[in-house]
Amino acid sequence: MSDTIFVAAEGGSEIEIGHHRTVEFLGMTWNADTIWTTAIAGIIVLALGFSVARNASATNPGKLQLAWEALVSWVTVQVESNLGKVNPFVIPLAIALFAFILIANWLEVIPSKEYLKPPTADVNLTYALAFLVIVGVHVYSVRERGVRGYVHHYFEPYPALFPIILIEEIVKPFTLALRLFGNIFSGAIMLAIIGLLPALVLWLPNVIWKLFAMFIAVIQAFIFALLTILYFGMAGDTHGEGDHEDRSQSDPADEPKTTNQPQLAEAH
Amino acid sequence: MARTSLAQENFLLPNLTFIAELFAFVVILWVLARYVLPHINRAMTERQEAIRTQFAELEEAKANAQEAENEYRSQLADARHEAAAIRERAREEGATIVAEMREQARAESDRIIRQAHAQVEAERQQVVQELRTEVGTMATTLAGRIVGESLDDDERRQRTVERFMSSLESQDGASRSEARR
Repeated sequence: MSDTIFVAAEGGSEIEIGHHRTVEFLGMTWNADTIWTTAIAGIIVLALGFSVARNASATNPGKLQLAWEALVSWVTVQVESNLGKVNPFVIPLAIALFAFILIANWLEVIPSKEYLKPPTADVNLTYALAFLVIVGVHVYSVRERGVRGYVHHYFEPYPALFPIILIEEIVKPFTLALRLFGNIFSGAIMLAIIGLLPALVLWLPNVIWKLFAMFIAVIQAFIFALLTILYFGMAGDTHGEGDHEDRSQSDPADEPKTTNQPQLAEAH
Repeated sequence: MARTSLAQENFLLPNLTFIAELFAFVVILWVLARYVLPHINRAMTERQEAIRTQFAELEEAKANAQEAENEYRSQLADARHEAAAIRERAREEGATIVAEMREQARAESDRIIRQAHAQVEAERQQVVQELRTEVGTMATTLAGRIVGESLDDDERRQRTVERFMSSLESQDGASRSEARR
């Protein structure tokens, strides 16, 4: 593979793809642009959060507070319906993921040449997010099912499916990371290609694409947060095995699920 | 390119930026979870609580209003009923009063008529009596003047008048029976 991949556009201009401004630190290469756009996105998210948290009013909420509350209540509802209970780690995780990914994606819309590339167009960020989610999912799975139940779930419903389930578990973080990366990255490439157009006609496709990219940004942040919740939900699912009696006692919300199991088994 | 790493060859492979990104996101997550979300949650729960209270109050007010309206309606119905009863009673009383008054009036008129009849009869008797005396006097006076005979003798005059009157009466009775015939 060559050093960098180029897209040759008409007129001889070249767009470098996957090229990052790097710095050498501790003898390693760091993608400086991704790091500082991450910092910018993070600061924006935290500033939005703090500006609401400081003035959070129960009687007279502002628009920003209502937006935060909408996100919080949506995530809470999703977590409750998928995990069967409110989880003190998953809810903030999903909220932070949505807010941060959304703001990071929207950096793309700010006209800044290549200085403010969305950090989500770098696999380093998306892999990091997916890594955190998957580690959390597996830890949650072990805590919910116990070690035996966790190991056992790789051999369910049939032991022969073990390789497929193993691959599924391995692939999950990559699909999670690369879906986000691919969408935002391709959006950035589109913007770069549109940037090669003559200035007279540039604005129209630019505006259209940026509006579309804003929409894609919301969708991707939504998908990432929702899949995170779904993965946690699946990780907590016991398949009528092992410690499920303990769970049904400790968790009344799961009772309908567990009582359904024998009927499903009979139906099969 | 001074330094060529694997990551620079393939943009799908991460480099150490991964660690920085992971750290950055964990910090963001921690700060959000620790300092931002509790405030938002608290405001949200408080408002939901307030809304729930308001709804409860609204329900209560609605129930009260409903109750008041029911009471009003029942009172209105009672009042209507009562009014109808009063009207009915008044009509009955009115009818009774009218009947009584009519009865009284009839009795009064009967009494007046009877009285009038009695009075007329008495007056007639009186007139007849007066005529009896005065017609005699006038007649004898007139007759005396005509015949030039002194009729001053009371006894004779009385006899003459009696005769005249009885002849008059018999004449009257004869003409009456003749007319009847």
